[in-house]
Amino acid sequence: MANGSAQFAMTRLSRVDVEGLGKSFQLGGRRIEAVKDVSFQVRDGEFVSLLGPSGSGKSTVLNIIATLLPMSTGRVEVDGQPIISGKTTPNVGYVFQRDTLFPWRTVAKNIGYALELSGMPTAERRERVAAAIERVGLRGFEDAYPALLSGGMRQRASLMRTLVKEPQILLMDEPFGALDTHTKLDMHDVLLKIWEREKQTVLFVTHDLGEALTLSDRIILFSARPGQIKETFEVPFARPRDGVALRETAEYAELFSHIWHSLGEEFIKGRAT
Amino acid sequence: MPTLGWQAVIVLAFLSIWQWGWSLHAFAPWAVPDLFDPYFVSKPSEIWSTFLQLGCLRTDEGHYVSWTSGEFGQCLARSDNNLWLAIGVTMRNTVLGFVTGVASGFVAGLILGRSRRLSTIFNPFVVALNSIPRIALAPVIILAFGIGDASKVVTSWIVVVFLVFFNTYEGARSVNTDHINAARLLGASEWQVTRTVVMPSAMAWVFASLSPAVSFALIGVIVGEFIGAEHGIGRLIIESEARGEAAGMMVAVFVLMIVGTVLTAGIRRLQSYLLRWQDQHQADAT
Ligand SMILES: Nc1ncnc2c1ncn2[C@@H]1O[C@H](COP(=O)(O)OP(=O)(O)OP(=O)(O)O)[C@@H](O)[C@H]1O
Ligand SMILES: [Mg+2]
Repeated sequence: MANGSAQFAMTRLSRVDVEGLGKSFQLGGRRIEAVKDVSFQVRDGEFVSLLGPSGSGKSTVLNIIATLLPMSTGRVEVDGQPIISGKTTPNVGYVFQRDTLFPWRTVAKNIGYALELSGMPTAERRERVAAAIERVGLRGFEDAYPALLSGGMRQRASLMRTLVKEPQILLMDEPFGALDTHTKLDMHDVLLKIWEREKQTVLFVTHDLGEALTLSDRIILFSARPGQIKETFEVPFARPRDGVALRETAEYAELFSHIWHSLGEEFIKGRAT
Repeated sequence: MPTLGWQAVIVLAFLSIWQWGWSLHAFAPWAVPDLFDPYFVSKPSEIWSTFLQLGCLRTDEGHYVSWTSGEFGQCLARSDNNLWLAIGVTMRNTVLGFVTGVASGFVAGLILGRSRRLSTIFNPFVVALNSIPRIALAPVIILAFGIGDASKVVTSWIVVVFLVFFNTYEGARSVNTDHINAARLLGASEWQVTRTVVMPSAMAWVFASLSPAVSFALIGVIVGEFIGAEHGIGRLIIESEARGEAAGMMVAVFVLMIVGTVLTAGIRRLQSYLLRWQDQHQADAT
């Protein structure tokens, strides 16, 4: 399976370069080493998941790449440029786990927010927002405030708020972590459809192995604290994928149980510390 | 009985006791405190007729003013602090003090709320200034700005500004950092974060201070007028008091009540428009 396309992938341009990344926090006089010597690359158009138990530093890594957190050691480059903490990198979009829609803006105004900031003319903005709303099936909810929406609808709106300015690199921190199983499967379809069309470079944080397998080209498994890369798995399933049908296949079951054991060890270690 | 019914009963009972309570004094002095003496508190009927006279709606002789004969205008011209002019002057100064107080308190609160450094530097001064009872400054302000409108606006400004400042400051400090991060990552500059995230989220806090701010603004103006003024409702009260006319004072008090209610209702409407997202929010949360 991992032949031609993987070969081609190797030659593709690297968009995110993480080299020897380390991060420790000062917590009440104690120094907590959250992430230790993490190195990986995400190539152009690749969908990579960071998988690991809670507290393994996945969000920390993602937040450092997103410039929300300064790193302690190491080096991160996006499109060959070292990132500067606190200064957002253009072309990078971020989707949060927690609901961060602005409650004082309607769905349409939330989605149009980034375009509004960049000063796009109203007519063009309306068009882009309408198209975005259409794509995730939020028609009829343009003028609703987020408080009225279900969790799934809110996450669709969040997704489009980030995607509307067409970032080529997408960082996602457990964006569907708070959703129920069915809504989550729906969202996987929504995301896969968008990604298969636009082929963003995605770095996706999750602790849900099924989700990682459904979505990714590659899974980077994190160990319990201090977060380090334990293993990397290629996910060779054919594209386009159907999240539900995929789960019924034998190759899925096989890879699932293989990674599950490795992940299980880390969960146990994580509990012990 | 519906709410409105109960409210009507309470108002009627209150007015009746006020109107006729004193008549019982002759029979049962122990039941009616001396404070009910109309010399101090007047009576609803007297207050009403004084209102008609002060407002040039009825002449001293008792007949109703006819609009067409120009009597109304002549009556108004006779007194340079007639009721309508007094209301106009007091309201204008209140609104000016309120608007300037809200604007400057809001801006100062935003700046200090957004900058940890500035808020640390200014903290002791703010605390010290805030512990001055602002009304104590009214005589100083009259001395400095004279007995004209300026001193009333300044007095009213000074009582409003701190209130709004503290609320805006707290509001700006308690903005959800996730929202700020989201805005930054979507490309917002510092100023855009302030304008599109901090201001709307602080708005609920700001509005919480606006209803009291209206009352405070009115208090500021009235106290200023007590100390020295040519026009205004406060001045009207002082004049009536000097003449021992309780009814005149009560007319002014009622007028103030109405002015305050009208201004507060205006704020409420503005609030429910600007914070319309919150109504749904709260309905959803409860
Ligand atoms: N601001 C902080 N101050 C102190 N410690 C922190 C801070 N942020 C994270 N940590 C610690 O760093 C470690 C890694 O946290 P992180 O949030 O990156 O984990 P995670 O893998 O994303 O977990 P989860 O799946 O629960 O989101 C945790 O042990 C956490 O306690
Ligand atoms: Mg996390």
